[in-house]
Amino acid sequence: MEHGTKDVKSSTFCLTDEDHTLANAVRFTLNQDPRVDFCGYSIPHPSDAQVNIRVQTTGAHAGEVLKDALQSLTAMCQHVRSTFDGAVEEYQLENPPVESMETEECLPKKR
Amino acid sequence: MANALRRIMLSEVPTIAIDLVEIEVNSTVLNDEFIAHRLGLIPLVSDRAMDMRFSRDCDACDGDGQCVHCSVEFQLSVRCDEDQTVDVTSADLISSDPMVVPVDVALAAARTEGFDSAENKGIIIVKLRRGQELRLRAIARKGIGKDHAKWSPAATVTYMYEPDIYINEDMMGSLTLEEKISWVESSPTKVFDIDPDTHQVKVVDAEAYTYDDEVIKKAEAMGKPGLVEITGREDSFIFTVESTGAVKASQIVINAIEVLKQKLDAVRLSEDTVEADEQFGELGAHMRGG
Repeated sequence: MEHGTKDVKSSTFCLTDEDHTLANAVRFTLNQDPRVDFCGYSIPHPSDAQVNIRVQTTGAHAGEVLKDALQSLTAMCQHVRSTFDGAVEEYQLENPPVESMETEECLPKKR
Repeated sequence: MANALRRIMLSEVPTIAIDLVEIEVNSTVLNDEFIAHRLGLIPLVSDRAMDMRFSRDCDACDGDGQCVHCSVEFQLSVRCDEDQTVDVTSADLISSDPMVVPVDVALAAARTEGFDSAENKGIIIVKLRRGQELRLRAIARKGIGKDHAKWSPAATVTYMYEPDIYINEDMMGSLTLEEKISWVESSPTKVFDIDPDTHQVKVVDAEAYTYDDEVIKKAEAMGKPGLVEITGREDSFIFTVESTGAVKASQIVINAIEVLKQKLDAVRLSEDTVEADEQFGELGAHMRGG
């Protein structure tokens, strides 16, 4: 839901059912984009599940810049996921699960 | 993004918990809602949760949330006919789905030997005396910690910057062994240790450092400022995830990343749909006003 003036360089995006979890991460990635002049987010009222993300660019289309930020965050997720999977695999190779220990390895394996 | 992950692990990774209880007979000392609340807090093995449907989004059961896609049924029927008190525990819950059972029951089943039944009988729900009875039907549903903390898969999630510890070896070499020992022991957590052969101070567990600055203060007190330099790496985080048992700790992390991706996709794909202005009336008015 985009709220802008005629100017494509700056827009405020209003997201429903989101909070700091998403908005802060998006804001962080947007601020790393050199095309972004200003970016910030606010939650107008803590009882409303709504965030406003303000994006002002140096010339690029604000909506496109936001989309790129979301895309790069998704890529970041993917990277963390693959790194994590690799590390878990490596750990399990080095430390095979011990049967009698009260760790998560004890949780049901058969189902 | 680290904080986003932490927040998601606490409140948006789905699990399964008892959400609806129909009580047939309850002659126990606890009232119906008290028992229903206790049932809700029992952690259930939730490896299925990511593939399950939220009952509000389930179209197979007309939104009453009682079909195989969005719910798991439990039966409980215990009656006390002896003079000793009988404990009603999570082990008395009979699940309609062998994959969704109370966490402690699953744990007991996994442990074949050395399992002391007297010690681990499950989570106590209520105690019965002679003549008392509890009979009920419970529906467990998928949910998230944001709606109710009973659905939170994590007990605690914390993260810290990974510390970069640099010891000034020249300065360290000028210390006597006693000074080294007293410096190493000034750290409240065991971060440093002394090599028994070479008497060299080395970092044994950088992750144990709690950014307490004690070793830095100690070095200054010894008249050796700059003996050690510790900085937090801005691009590397150490997460500590403690699970309730509903989902494995490592799986919570994986699920959290998945949830975050879904969120990003939802925003990216719905971005073009400009909805009615009334919904965002205040902001719209604000924008038009100036």
